Amino acid sequence: MSALTYKKNDDIESGSLDKMTVFQDCMSGFNASPIMPKKCRLLLSKLAHLLSSGETFPADEATALFFSVTKLFQHKDPSLRQMVYVVIKELAPIANDVIMVTSSIMKDVQGSNELIYKPNAIRALCRIIDGSIVQGIERLMKTAIVDKNPSISSAALVSSYQLLPIAKDTVRRWANETQECVVAQKSFPPGALLGNYHIGVSTLSQYHALGLLYQIRAHDRMALMKMVQQLSGPSTSLKSSNAIIMLIRFISRIISDDQNLRAPLYVLLENWLRHKSDMVNLEAAKIILNIKGISEEEATPAVNVLQQFLSSPRTVYRFAAIRAFSKFAMVQPVLISHCNIEIENLLSDTNRSIATYAITTLLQTGNETSVDRLLTQINGFMNDISDDFKIIIIEAVRSLALKFPTKHVAMLKFLADCLRDEGGIKVKTTIVESIFDMIKYVPDSKDEALGHLCEFIEDCEFTDITVRVLHMLGVEGPATSEPTMYIRYIYNRVVLENAVIRASAVSALAKFALTDDKEVRDSVVVLLRRCLEDVTDEVRDRAAVYLKVIGLDKQVAESYINPGKDYSLPVLEQELAQYVSGDREQFSTPFDMSTIPQITEEQAKANDFKIKSKANHEPEAAKADIAKEQMERALKEELTQQTYASTLASIAQFTDYGKILNSSKIVQLSESETEFVVSAVKHLFKDHLVIQYDINNTLKDTILEDVSVISIPDNEDIVEEFIIPIDTLSVESAGTVYVSFVRPTGEYPVTGFENNLKFTLKEIDPSSGEPEEDGFEDEYQIESLSLSASDYMIPTYAGSFVHQWDELRFDETFSIRIDAADLQEACTYLIETLNMMPLESSDVPVSTSQNTLKLFGKTVDGVKTVVQIRMIYSASNGVAIKIHTRAQEEAASALVIETFTN
Amino acid sequence: MATISIYSWFQSVYNYLLSLFWSTELDVTLLGLQNAGKTSLLKVFIGEEFSPDSIPTVGFAMKRVKHGHVTLKCWDLGGQPRFRSMWERYCRGVNCVVFVLDSADASTFETAKTELNALLSKEALVGIPLLVLGNKNDLPASIGTEEIINILQLEQYKDRDISVLSISVKEGKGLPGVLSWLISRKNSNK
Repeated sequence: MSALTYKKNDDIESGSLDKMTVFQDCMSGFNASPIMPKKCRLLLSKLAHLLSSGETFPADEATALFFSVTKLFQHKDPSLRQMVYVVIKELAPIANDVIMVTSSIMKDVQGSNELIYKPNAIRALCRIIDGSIVQGIERLMKTAIVDKNPSISSAALVSSYQLLPIAKDTVRRWANETQECVVAQKSFPPGALLGNYHIGVSTLSQYHALGLLYQIRAHDRMALMKMVQQLSGPSTSLKSSNAIIMLIRFISRIISDDQNLRAPLYVLLENWLRHKSDMVNLEAAKIILNIKGISEEEATPAVNVLQQFLSSPRTVYRFAAIRAFSKFAMVQPVLISHCNIEIENLLSDTNRSIATYAITTLLQTGNETSVDRLLTQINGFMNDISDDFKIIIIEAVRSLALKFPTKHVAMLKFLADCLRDEGGIKVKTTIVESIFDMIKYVPDSKDEALGHLCEFIEDCEFTDITVRVLHMLGVEGPATSEPTMYIRYIYNRVVLENAVIRASAVSALAKFALTDDKEVRDSVVVLLRRCLEDVTDEVRDRAAVYLKVIGLDKQVAESYINPGKDYSLPVLEQELAQYVSGDREQFSTPFDMSTIPQITEEQAKANDFKIKSKANHEPEAAKADIAKEQMERALKEELTQQTYASTLASIAQFTDYGKILNSSKIVQLSESETEFVVSAVKHLFKDHLVIQYDINNTLKDTILEDVSVISIPDNEDIVEEFIIPIDTLSVESAGTVYVSFVRPTGEYPVTGFENNLKFTLKEIDPSSGEPEEDGFEDEYQIESLSLSASDYMIPTYAGSFVHQWDELRFDETFSIRIDAADLQEACTYLIETLNMMPLESSDVPVSTSQNTLKLFGKTVDGVKTVVQIRMIYSASNGVAIKIHTRAQEEAASALVIETFTN
Repeated sequence: MATISIYSWFQSVYNYLLSLFWSTELDVTLLGLQNAGKTSLLKVFIGEEFSPDSIPTVGFAMKRVKHGHVTLKCWDLGGQPRFRSMWERYCRGVNCVVFVLDSADASTFETAKTELNALLSKEALVGIPLLVLGNKNDLPASIGTEEIINILQLEQYKDRDISVLSISVKEGKGLPGVLSWLISRKNSNK
């Protein structure tokens, strides 16, 4: 492009273009005869500028424009033709009948003027054709893909990519040509475009080809593996760094899909750490650190490579390296703690983004003592960075607060400072949520945190946030030492704010009326009375309802104002959706609210905490996915629990057993490919234990009658009551046997069960299809079942482990050696065996040699139990553990110990 | 030999000078149902070999035919039903419209009549000369010009400049007549 044209473009940029003028000029200019190429090119650029800056034309005008543009095909000027193609691509989606130019474009693709016409024509061609014509251009595309000119080849490859959605099968047939292109090295013809392009071997078409090849093969893992192996071997002809980086990303996808392929693929990744291109080194290191559950030996080479990049003079390398570190620090901070010195140097980096990532990394890798120093340092540049980075830092501080609860004073101060500073709604929301988390999980910080929140809503411009804070004040405020102080802050909102806030302030106020302090209650009533005069219905209505309810008996009032439990929202949503989608008949019965399980606050907290701390340990921005997955799993569990409950309730013998306290996971008692597949679920009731055996008869020619399970407990405290057998289990069908036991109330006997399947076997006469008259009795041994702590315990959250520990008596200790490869495995095993909630992140061992696991839970009868397990690992002896437990009742601590002795 | 080359050199210089002052461009639109022989006709005009099987035109193709000091800009339009609605767009303001008919395929006559009459009724085409070509007259089943006029009901357009010629692209019959007819229309209204 000449300097002159640039100048004209500048004019376009600065001046405003009138859509209609451009339209008229184009119509007359393009239809003129003879064609004036320079003028038309300028018109086309104006048009392209309009289209790219968001203007659109109605379909008929666009079509008219399109057809007048096609008239320009009569002129051979290459630079005009180039612009014609650009505009055709822009107009293609909005104009009708764009297929009209197909033949003209194909003429250019086949034509001889290679460098300008061909690549541009190919790109335009793929935008205008529909699925029916793709086959017609197949030969053309195949030839173009293998063309020796890299720009033609690239154009064809990228265009094929665009064709995938409309003609997947056709494009798949180009795999061989694409493959050929991946390994080919193409050079620009000498002297073709002197001075404009760099001349020599271009490998970019390898990158494009690899991308297409992956799309073609993505469904076939074997082919994909073959491709990876072929391209990553020592004699590979893959030269383009971009292509190698893409290959590395494919590998990362394969690894996350199939962990079995991890070992061979890791070797490839590690080799790329020593590739001559920095880009490739960085990408390989990043991907290695992203692999789930990476071990120390595997991570070290990647960490070393990134460490070198930390002190690189080039900003972009430092940024890439520190960003990879900050992600990795969320997962395994220990492995990069030796880079702390380099990372600290980056704190003063002139690039604020790098400094931000450095801080978040240090917050993870640093220990408790360095927290204060780091927080002061962050404060220094909090004002200089953008909102997005502020959020990153606040998130880091939040997870730090959950990790080191003792440092809450400094962190709370930091968050409060941030709250006072400027920031958009996203930043403020993040800060407020972080403070909420501290209130929930770091009880010591509660008073001060609430104070900061009160101060914040005095001058908060965001309604949403104020409402959330008011709700939090309502929930937490009444239990504090000085509820009146919060009442004042809340009532201020009633006086000063908009209707939405006033309404939520009324709800918050009402919660304070539940206190025993009569004086407080009376003043709340007075305040609520004043709200009856409000101008808005919602506010008046709420105040009236609460005044009425407060006047009632205290317990009744509490069930309305602060019920302490909530319906499980996902289940409720699903049931409601099902109800609404039903036919008219379904509406004749009202919606049954009692089928929706209720969740107490403690359970909700435990779930939340689990999701939160899990999310922090996950690399990638897949946090949302994980949260969703967890929700789905929780939902599924709830639904199974519900089906158990309704099935058992429908059986007459169990009706007076009461509610199910806990149902175990499904335990397989036989191999899945045997004749009779048996699985079991244990249901605990107040005085009973019911084992549900699901039996599947997989035989095609045999039926079973009188099927029962003889289950013999090895503990005398558990006494069998009765068995509900299956009368007939026909071929290839499933049935359920229930065995009911009496269990001693308030005790938690640990026991095993010997199980035998007993039945009468009858073969089916192949000629008549009827079962034979006489059968014979048979027994079939299935695996035994055990009843232990995991059945009696329900994981529960507690804010302070020490607090619970000090409160409880009935001390028991016990030492044992367990078979585990490392401390992490031991923690997982212990948590699963005891089915209790790990507190204070003690389930993630910081050191490889020792750890203290802190667990909290309640038994099915609601008896609080804490367990503290010290563990020491040595390579020669495995993991030695010392269990120390305390509980509200002796039976519970005995249960913990017995689980390990049996 | 030398004299001849000098002569031809003078000839080309003369032609060049002539083209500077009298060179003319004509816009010609070629239409007709599919497989009538439009693209083949153009190919033969620009001096390529006739080949019996060519790819159907998708949309349009533009070709230039030079004859003496006259350049014909030919818009060769696709004949498949999906493109017929777009013929009109390429007929506006051209010097002449050429409608090619496969005179040996009686099954296409009815459609050809409908399409041509629909096109002629469009306002944009008023005053533009029309040349109807009955192609493939080398085939025994082909019909003559009189019959073409009848079948396409052309006698109703008494006041328009319409001619009918019978040609064979394959054997090259009647093609010079077509060219001279087209060139003679260079002075018609534009």
